[in-house]
Amino acid sequence: MPVLHASAPYPIRDDLAASQARAWAHIARPGTWWDGAARVAIAAQTRQAPLCALCRRRKDAVSPMAIEGTHDSLGRLPEMVVEVVHRVRTDPSRLGERWYRKVIGGGLTEGQYVEVVSVVAHTVAIDTMARGLGLEPTPLPAPEPGSPSHYRPKGAKPGSAWVPWIEPAGASASEAGIYPSDRPPANIMKAMSLVPDEVRSFFDLVTHQYLPGAVMRDFSREYRAISHAQIELLAARVSALNRCLY
Amino acid sequence: MPYGRLLVAFAEAVLGEDHGALARARDALMPAVGPVGLVDAAGVVGLFNAIDRVADATGIPLEPEKAAASADFRARLDLDRFAVAERD
Repeated sequence: MPVLHASAPYPIRDDLAASQARAWAHIARPGTWWDGAARVAIAAQTRQAPLCALCRRRKDAVSPMAIEGTHDSLGRLPEMVVEVVHRVRTDPSRLGERWYRKVIGGGLTEGQYVEVVSVVAHTVAIDTMARGLGLEPTPLPAPEPGSPSHYRPKGAKPGSAWVPWIEPAGASASEAGIYPSDRPPANIMKAMSLVPDEVRSFFDLVTHQYLPGAVMRDFSREYRAISHAQIELLAARVSALNRCLY
Repeated sequence: MPYGRLLVAFAEAVLGEDHGALARARDALMPAVGPVGLVDAAGVVGLFNAIDRVADATGIPLEPEKAAASADFRARLDLDRFAVAERD
């Protein structure tokens, strides 16, 4: 398993480094809908997205979809996947359901879409932390061979999000552990449940880069070197900058 | 809150494009929260930069109980304009 940030000039908690190493290994492995090579290509495209001239023009425009053009791509993924990666990476606050339906109508399946979003999110989480510490982005992992599982949970149904998701009552043994057992899952936990392995992996990162779910609202003690209040201040400011209401 | 302004400046610099501003924000925050605190802060900024994208890309709505609990300050801060449902 790769060791991320091994030469960092700051003491990175063992659990945090290990979770990011697991995330990197997860990206390299065949997923549910994309093989390892595609998943690593998605991560690479995520890194390249901020340099895309089309994305920059769209970001400056009042309506992004009024700007036509071709993305600056690394050439390893279908154009529709590049569109998803770039939009999620560079302008997520203006994603709308019409755009999502157009992506799905354009040939990407819902499962493929969710998995792309997840790989982008994993990459952004790790890369943003590295940038904050003044570290170079960690080299992407080498893809592992093998085929995607093509597992679609029987319990995944349309709900109040754009993507189908699994309500707790619809989770089978194959989805065991993706939701907490002591409280209803928040919508953010259900968001990627169409691809359960992505929920498991991403929320492993959440546990170690942010806080474990069970203690997020435990204000009786502190779990990090910064306080709960300081953590939530950071979270709120980032979300405000990203114009994310949720 | 201790070091609130430094934490906010750090978050803004991490998400910004000015490498100099980021280095200055990091250098200002480090003595305040220590190296372990700095790593924790960077971790939180990174995680929320990612999880915001999951929320926005999947179109999840705010849960009714959260919407009710936050209605007053959402209105005061005009945050509902960021709602997924408001987008094209």
